Amino acid sequence: MMELMWYVVGFLAGVSGYLVYMLSRKYNLGVIGLGSLIIGLFLILFTVAWSVGSVLEGVPRAASMGIVFFAMPGIVLLTFTAKRFLTPRYRKT
Amino acid sequence: MTENMHDPGVSNKMPSSSGSNRGEGNSKSKTSRRSFLKLSVAGAGVAAAGAAGITVARRMEGIPQDTLPIPINDDFKPIDQRNVLHIFAYSKALDQKHPERTKKFGNYNFYERFKTFYNGPYRKDPGYTQLERALAIGGFALLSKLHGPYGLSNPDGLLSSWKQEMLAKSQYEFPSKQEASQVIKSAAALYGAIKCGITRRDRRFDYDPLYDIGQERELSWERDFPFEPKTVIVIMTEMDYLAMSTAPSWITDATVGNAYVEALKIAAQTALFLRQLGYKAVATMNDMGMCGPYAVAAGLGEGGRNGQVITTGYGPRVRISKVYTDLDYVEYDKPKTLGVASFCLQCKRCAESCPSEAITFDGPSWEPTYSSDPDYIWHAAKGVYKFHNDTKKCFKFWIENDGACANCIASCPYNKPDFSHHRFVDIMNVVAPSQVHGLMKEFDILFGYGTVSDPAAVKKFWKKGRTKT
Repeated sequence: MMELMWYVVGFLAGVSGYLVYMLSRKYNLGVIGLGSLIIGLFLILFTVAWSVGSVLEGVPRAASMGIVFFAMPGIVLLTFTAKRFLTPRYRKT
Repeated sequence: MTENMHDPGVSNKMPSSSGSNRGEGNSKSKTSRRSFLKLSVAGAGVAAAGAAGITVARRMEGIPQDTLPIPINDDFKPIDQRNVLHIFAYSKALDQKHPERTKKFGNYNFYERFKTFYNGPYRKDPGYTQLERALAIGGFALLSKLHGPYGLSNPDGLLSSWKQEMLAKSQYEFPSKQEASQVIKSAAALYGAIKCGITRRDRRFDYDPLYDIGQERELSWERDFPFEPKTVIVIMTEMDYLAMSTAPSWITDATVGNAYVEALKIAAQTALFLRQLGYKAVATMNDMGMCGPYAVAAGLGEGGRNGQVITTGYGPRVRISKVYTDLDYVEYDKPKTLGVASFCLQCKRCAESCPSEAITFDGPSWEPTYSSDPDYIWHAAKGVYKFHNDTKKCFKFWIENDGACANCIASCPYNKPDFSHHRFVDIMNVVAPSQVHGLMKEFDILFGYGTVSDPAAVKKFWKKGRTKT
């Protein structure tokens, strides 16, 4: 199961990389926008790895705490990026 | 000169001479320089991240030290094996010789109490039924067949015999010291060791004199031991995580015993391997010398507050055996520091989980801080700067529990199953300053790790079995 989890995380990392590339081409994200996008995506991927690992080792509480401590900041950062930078104002002409 | 002047595709599209031509060329040049700058910054970032990763990975494996990271006084004397609690508690002669030890510990007779160990009735509590006792007996009892009837601290056992049987007449010559060490470690790994280190024999870590309970007599290194050991090979085996998480139930006895059986088997096989190469060798368990200091000296871990060796990847969830040999043409491992000392200073979780209050809340010291009465601290290693714990209290709980405890192993934040996400925490532990370690301990509790006396853990063990995936 851990191998499958790493395969999925690897696939999602590839998709995330492509997403970052496409968004940085379309929008003027700047250092803050790009940083919060990358860190936000990393935290989401980290949460997937953490939580699946925790469930597999039989500590579901660690999985749920992982969602609170890692995924929540990730979602906040991605929301911030979307609301602040992924707007027509920052679109490249 | 701009890049696009060399590009026929670009120059064909541009008018031959105009102001806008120069402007467009400059714009492309600026873009190109900016791209180059961005790439350079990105490359530098990747290189810095790579270098940091390598540094952290090395620190996680431990920082090699030229000297032993356990300060020992120059006047430190080797421990008399008669003062080892598990030797004393097995020996009728020593019990009769030292009535003051019984008196000073509230008239608690270690010898008489030890005879009741593992003989109590089954209970109805989870982890203490006939099922768990049977599992524990299956895990542990084989040791008496393999090592002898007087426990793991008694020297010259069966598989750990001092007889140099099957010793080859000619000695195999290793091409180099490095290769000799690698060969020994490969052999130990094949036999089942999870970790193996090689260190010089250090007389400070050996019991002297040794004591044989069966014959109730002292043994001398010079007179009785068959050769002069020069090297000690330290072998580690793993205890099961789920079984350990049921601490202090009888299930922990099963995994402790099982890991000991494996450790003894591997040591005996490694000793025989060396004898077949023409070098004298003896497998040993807790007898002859202290496993902890030898494991630290061999670079396998660092001493923790709970008195265990804390290792990378397994924490304190290991058992140790040793091989004494006269082979000295080997490359010795260096001791390493893993940041355990600073972590244990802040953590104290083992002390909080100890049902007998045997583990100290104090910092490291040269002598026990719980008492200075020589008749009370007769078993203590004085002159070593470490966490001094009262093993008598630990022993007393074993007898009350009618089985070993292991709460200090189960609750240790370093004790984690072999799942990759815990390596992230290991990285944090290495990178974070010592002030953060106390916070990491709180997070460990918050995330649900290291609980002890948990009936649900017993159910989980029987339902899930091993955690390996």
